[in-house]
Amino acid sequence: MRPGTNDRVRTSIRVLQFVMLGLCLIVLGRVFQLQILDFDTYEPISKSNALRQEFVSPARGLIFDRNGTLLVDNEPIYSITIKPAKFDMDKIPLLASIVGVPDSVVQRKVKEAQHFSWYRSSRLFTEVNFDVFSKIQENIWRLPGIGHQIESKRHYPTPTNISHILGYLREASEKDYEKYPDLRLGDKIGKSGLEQVYQEYLRGKLGTEYIRVNALGQSMGSYNNGELDTPPEKGNDIMTTLDTDLQITAEKLMKGKRGSVVAMDPNDGSILAMVSSPQYDIRKLSGRIDSDYWKSINADTTNPLYNRAISSQKPPGSTFKPLMALIGLHLGIITPETVINNPGYFYLGRRYHDHAPAGKYKLRKAIELSSNTYFFTVMYRLIRNGDFNKWHNLAQDFGLGRQNYIDLPSETRGIIPDSSYMNNAFGKGKWGYGDLMSMGIGQGMVSVSPLQMALVTSEIGNGGYWVQPHVVKAIRKNDGSIVQTKASKHKIDWVDSNDVQVVKDGMRRVITEGTGRWYAKIKDVTICGKTGTAQNPHGEDHSWFIAFAPMDHPKIAVAALVENAGYGSLTAAPIASLVIEKYLKGKIERQRIYDMMLNFTYKDKKKEESSEDE
Amino acid sequence: MNSLRNMSWSLILTWAGLTVIGLVGIYSATQGPVSQFLPTYIQENFFKQFVWIGLSLIIMFGIQFVAPRTFQEASYLLYILGLLIMIFTLLFGVEVNGARSWISIGPVRFQVSELMKVATILAVANYLTSRRDITAENLKSATIAIVLILIPTGLVIMQNDMGTAIVFLALIPVMLFWSGLPYGISLFMISPAIIGYLSVINWYWGLISTILITIIIFFIQKRSWLSFATFMLGILIIIGVQVALFQVLQPHQRARIEAFTNPSFDPRGAGWNVIQAKTAIGSGGLYGKGFLQGTQTQLRFLPEQWTDFIFCVIGEEFGFIGSATVIILFIFLILKLLNAAGSHKHPFAQLVIVGVTAVLFIHFFINVGSASALLPVIGLPLPFVSYGGSAFLTDTLMLAICLNLDFYKRQFSIYV
Repeated sequence: MRPGTNDRVRTSIRVLQFVMLGLCLIVLGRVFQLQILDFDTYEPISKSNALRQEFVSPARGLIFDRNGTLLVDNEPIYSITIKPAKFDMDKIPLLASIVGVPDSVVQRKVKEAQHFSWYRSSRLFTEVNFDVFSKIQENIWRLPGIGHQIESKRHYPTPTNISHILGYLREASEKDYEKYPDLRLGDKIGKSGLEQVYQEYLRGKLGTEYIRVNALGQSMGSYNNGELDTPPEKGNDIMTTLDTDLQITAEKLMKGKRGSVVAMDPNDGSILAMVSSPQYDIRKLSGRIDSDYWKSINADTTNPLYNRAISSQKPPGSTFKPLMALIGLHLGIITPETVINNPGYFYLGRRYHDHAPAGKYKLRKAIELSSNTYFFTVMYRLIRNGDFNKWHNLAQDFGLGRQNYIDLPSETRGIIPDSSYMNNAFGKGKWGYGDLMSMGIGQGMVSVSPLQMALVTSEIGNGGYWVQPHVVKAIRKNDGSIVQTKASKHKIDWVDSNDVQVVKDGMRRVITEGTGRWYAKIKDVTICGKTGTAQNPHGEDHSWFIAFAPMDHPKIAVAALVENAGYGSLTAAPIASLVIEKYLKGKIERQRIYDMMLNFTYKDKKKEESSEDE
Repeated sequence: MNSLRNMSWSLILTWAGLTVIGLVGIYSATQGPVSQFLPTYIQENFFKQFVWIGLSLIIMFGIQFVAPRTFQEASYLLYILGLLIMIFTLLFGVEVNGARSWISIGPVRFQVSELMKVATILAVANYLTSRRDITAENLKSATIAIVLILIPTGLVIMQNDMGTAIVFLALIPVMLFWSGLPYGISLFMISPAIIGYLSVINWYWGLISTILITIIIFFIQKRSWLSFATFMLGILIIIGVQVALFQVLQPHQRARIEAFTNPSFDPRGAGWNVIQAKTAIGSGGLYGKGFLQGTQTQLRFLPEQWTDFIFCVIGEEFGFIGSATVIILFIFLILKLLNAAGSHKHPFAQLVIVGVTAVLFIHFFINVGSASALLPVIGLPLPFVSYGGSAFLTDTLMLAICLNLDFYKRQFSIYV
């Protein structure tokens, strides 16, 4: 052994021990840093790593009619999803054979999904039947990137459509996501009708589930036996005021026609039936939306998505006369006994033709025979007295020319002009009697929605009470408590009950002796009504009819409008009276009239009929 | 005769302690709730480990009856035999995890490069035993020793097993240093590792370390040519690392390095393992989440958690208490072995023990360093703890040889 070797060995040990111990201590320090100092950083990461928060969609609230008949519920639909990045294109034949479509269809759908996103899951097939769904479940391990999900869609158990009242759901838009922060991509929300207005109640509350997952994303059951989970809260149920039987009848009667029927309970403004025709098929807009159908109803010139009952505005024609009579009586322009001579026309700068036979008219007869001259005279005197704006206000008190805030979207205000409206339309000082006279008979610039006419009819029927039109009477919360919606009602203070009685008498005579005697008369029912034939510069006249029954304590008020159908007495009157008959008697006895209305077809030429109103 | 009291029982106890911790870790990593995600052949690893432990015990016991000089005499033969088997493996071996370093013997697969470590240590120790004339001017024997190590290293690299290659390379400075290589040159030899590591993190750290090492070497060795060489080598490494990072390396290799320096850069890709490993250890806290309670482990967030990432399993389920125990056991093992080397009279025994210590230490440092994101992920098992037959057997064999040399130190030193 060479001298010095031992020294060298001793130093070498120390150096090596020093270096290795140093490095070991660095490792120990590192572990100390991770586990003690940075524990608060890593502990939450490990928690969130191992837990996946999943949202559970709540069941949307149900919708019932006034008798508790279920109108809308939910039905499960099965979808197959795909994450294109994980999908193996060689599996297309297998997938196609399970779904039962040609390979090319799957290929096209996969391409579409890839185009949408390679990494996000998108629906490959929606609403597959349960057999296919379970086969997919069985074979899921052979189909990487393929998933499945159960969703729900709206289901309509009754044979009604009620499309415009119920409304449809569509995928939430970007704006909706801002409005409801807990919406998830692809969620559907109400986009029209009650589904839209009562969205907040119907949607319910999203539930959360915590699921333990591994690094492969496989579920390993619930976390802490579901202690942290919050179950979804079902949406609130909605009880509507609709009468399903009546709605079915009204829908049948309106089939093949353009127009609307609104039936209202005059005592509280609740809507018994409301049809806007043509309707869209609400079932085709449930669940997977058939894009061809969606395009077709959007392109349809008759505009089936449009709720004519509350959104359309048309001149009311002679159905405006009962209200006109009340205004005239209130303003002292006429009394029930005032006699106005009808020479067969009204003359003010030009001749205004009157269908009603020449003669002397008192108010009741004027309503019965729908004398234009009588109401032109009332309007003329009213304007002469400088009461044009007062006329506007009084009509507004009845709910015309303004919104009545029914619980449905897109309610129109209608138009009841006043002087500032006329100034805007014609320029100050550029309008006069000639522009205003026709308003006295519900023509010219006056326009109303069928809902507004149903409201006016109710108000006359109930003796001068404004009632809040509404479709929903109550909301049933999940705890079983029922919240009634406000059904407000107030007396229109200027309406005199004696005046109303006179108008009712007149409207009764319309049915017994006047224009409604053919098609609006119902055995044993004291129905009161008024026909209207609104002149339409663009085509055939619009057919109107308003009616309520029974006369003294009315239970139903109806306004019917059939666009371009000519005389009110021929189309709107039978429809409205059949609705009343169905409601009051529970059945239709006038089968001949019923069949006639079902077989209604638009005529190209105006029928040569003599004894009509206006 | 030696009394059994002279046996280094503390080393055997350390070995047993690490082995038991390993069994607990492997059980948790393969038999816990996680088992449902693992194929059967991996679940079986826990039971197979018992077989390897049994085999290792027999070897450890058997080795003690071998005369210490036999190791020296047989060293070259073993070395050449080892090289031949490695070449054979390279040609006819089985590829596991991308490394063609396994041969199948019946149902058992064995990684020959593991055993080659032992053979190389013995051969190099034998060669250097008689040649302690290494000076800064006479580096001939040092060069031959380096070549002895570089041959198996080259074969291992050809087998595509970078981790083992690093272990072989680490033997060079340690064994040469022990055999009298001047301090300055030793530092020069390990300077590439230091400068390279720091340059990967940041090029100017590399530059600072180059300048520092150059200055230190100049003061130790007082040889300006060596200082100059150190400096030039350092600069070359810095440039080389930059070129490698941005030009030469394949994207996946670069991603691995990138994942080390900045794991959140690609949290779902290459950085995934780093983040999950850190999270597993970090979320263990002081006491850990409890046996079989580690979510990172049981929910399979860790790759290779029964081998390369077993330290994470222990860290997560047994906390700092558990991981510190493992580290302290290794510190004890290393210091104890180095002491044994220092107290030995025979240079062959000294060199063998130092070589074995170096191998065990490098395994430990790289394994735990990778798991705790101190180093880029380099797949090496944790000695005695990780599952793995060849590694466990080899590590135990190395320890057994050290025990043998230590046990017979009086008899063996007579022949010097």
